Amino acid sequence: MSTVDHPQVESSLEGLLKQVRPRLKTVFTRYRIPPQDTEDILQQALMALVYRKESIRDPEAWLVGTVRNKCLLYWREHRRKLYETVDAAVLEVVAGPVGPDQERAHLRHDLAQALERLPERCRSLLWMRYRQGYDPPELAERLGYSPSSIGKVTTRCLAALTRHLFASGICRRKTE
Amino acid sequence: MTAGRHPEPGVLERFLLGRLSPPEMRETARHLLAGCPRCQEITAGLWEPADLFEDPLALASAEVSTEDAAYDAVLDRVFERVAAVESQLAAQRAAGRRLHEELMQCPAERRHLLLANCQRFRNRMLCERLIEASYEACFEDPRRAVEAAELAVAVVGRLEAEDCGGAEALAGLRARAWAYLGNAFRTNFDLQNSETAFATAESLLSESQISLAEKAKVLSLLASWRKVQRRFAEAAQIFDRVAAIYKRLGQWDLLGRTFLQKALVCGEAGDGEGEMKLLRRALDLIDPQSDPRTFLAARHNLINALYESGRAREAFALLYHTRPLYLQMGDRMSLLRLRWLEGLVAFGLQRTDQAEAAFREVREAFLELDLGYEAALASLDLAGVYVVQGRGADVSRVAEETLQIFQSYNTHREAIAALLVFSAAARLDQAGLDLVREVSSFLKRARNNPDLRFSAPS
Repeated sequence: MSTVDHPQVESSLEGLLKQVRPRLKTVFTRYRIPPQDTEDILQQALMALVYRKESIRDPEAWLVGTVRNKCLLYWREHRRKLYETVDAAVLEVVAGPVGPDQERAHLRHDLAQALERLPERCRSLLWMRYRQGYDPPELAERLGYSPSSIGKVTTRCLAALTRHLFASGICRRKTE
Repeated sequence: MTAGRHPEPGVLERFLLGRLSPPEMRETARHLLAGCPRCQEITAGLWEPADLFEDPLALASAEVSTEDAAYDAVLDRVFERVAAVESQLAAQRAAGRRLHEELMQCPAERRHLLLANCQRFRNRMLCERLIEASYEACFEDPRRAVEAAELAVAVVGRLEAEDCGGAEALAGLRARAWAYLGNAFRTNFDLQNSETAFATAESLLSESQISLAEKAKVLSLLASWRKVQRRFAEAAQIFDRVAAIYKRLGQWDLLGRTFLQKALVCGEAGDGEGEMKLLRRALDLIDPQSDPRTFLAARHNLINALYESGRAREAFALLYHTRPLYLQMGDRMSLLRLRWLEGLVAFGLQRTDQAEAAFREVREAFLELDLGYEAALASLDLAGVYVVQGRGADVSRVAEETLQIFQSYNTHREAIAALLVFSAAARLDQAGLDLVREVSSFLKRARNNPDLRFSAPS
């Protein structure tokens, strides 16, 4: 029989905070969380720790893990907003009065090229959304997704598109 | 802003953080869509964090930069606030314990009335204490476990977010209280109420923002319930989610406990090898010092799995080393489980006299404790011994006695039907070991599945 070697556990809160401080700073620095947002993340994690301290075996590992997870969620939440913005901007580009016909044609062409570089699943979904104007329930029905999962699938596809656009843009010839 | 005029780096950063006004957000997005290489270079650098650090190893190798000084002031402020909250909490915990004692001193029928009418029982720590009490009572007195969990649900129903340090904590506590109630009903074999309680816990999980640790606890109980319902694939899937959470949170002992629970799913689904593999992983992770009961449960299940797979010698060796742990626990149920396991292993080693003595003892003790189903299962093990010894009259007598136990406990009809088949075969001296095993296995499965039908072997 063997058991896990558990690290030295600091029992007092004061000692724990002193011990964990450098690791927390590392996490925040590396995740590039703006200091003003760090306060909420840290406070939520520490409150959860003190409320549940008796049932947590290794508080330091737990705290670092929880803070790291909250940092990821922080970015995920911001990314989600960003995807929505990109989505709205692309819809405007393809549908709105953005300029002369030739410019719009270039935009559409470059968007098509950008979509070509995405996985097949995203390509068809975004194509139907931007070129044919389908809304999420219609997309779910057309592509065979359940209404509850279409939101997630669309977000993933928008994430792929956003990544791609931020790396290359959709109409290089128009820049500067 | 136009495609030709670049946004400031600060604007791009606020754009990625979603901190610009909606028109500014749109305009910046349009600028980037136009493919501005200069701005793309900046945003690509800002884009990096969430992708780069999915891998915890990347974080471990990170070095603290000089920029981290900006965090010091924040850390100081938060640490100070949390220390103040902690000292308040210590006082609240003590108050919760006192309230629990006071509540338990009241007659059972007055407790809910007291909770509904008395403001000072609106206490988070009282709820936590009741949940703990419910869990502890599952091993000793399942009916008390239900009472305690019902009280916990009543308390949490009256709590507000500010009583718990926030809406997230309240939502987590509420989901947990309902899950423990479902669990308590499960240990009482009250399947309908269990399903209702778990459905409530599950809907609370999906409706509210709940911390990962709290979510894992609720999911873990839910997965155990799915196992009882014999929805094995679903149960295994939920346990995998729980394991992923504990791995992420670095809670190795809880990860071990999750493996132990998932092993039960494998066992019931007929995957004996998978079960033993998971149990060994669990034993590597569970600390016998801090959680002896869980460690013992893992050992017990491993011994049983070894016996079931025909490796009685290995089971015997492991049982020899595990006996002190049962004695250390000392509660009656643990000692009865030990005795039962001793009987099974002895039977596996063809030491039928020892097995008979153990099964008789266990059966009598379960009858004394009013645990008819366990008594009946032990009786079937005893019948198995008599079959091997060729004692047809004793097989027939035990079969009749077992049938009477089931009838007196009003167990569901299919279980009685199975025992009637066994009893009839025993009277004709035709009950073989295969039939005993088949009936025993059916009774174990039928216990949590009233819809199961027994088909008599040809």
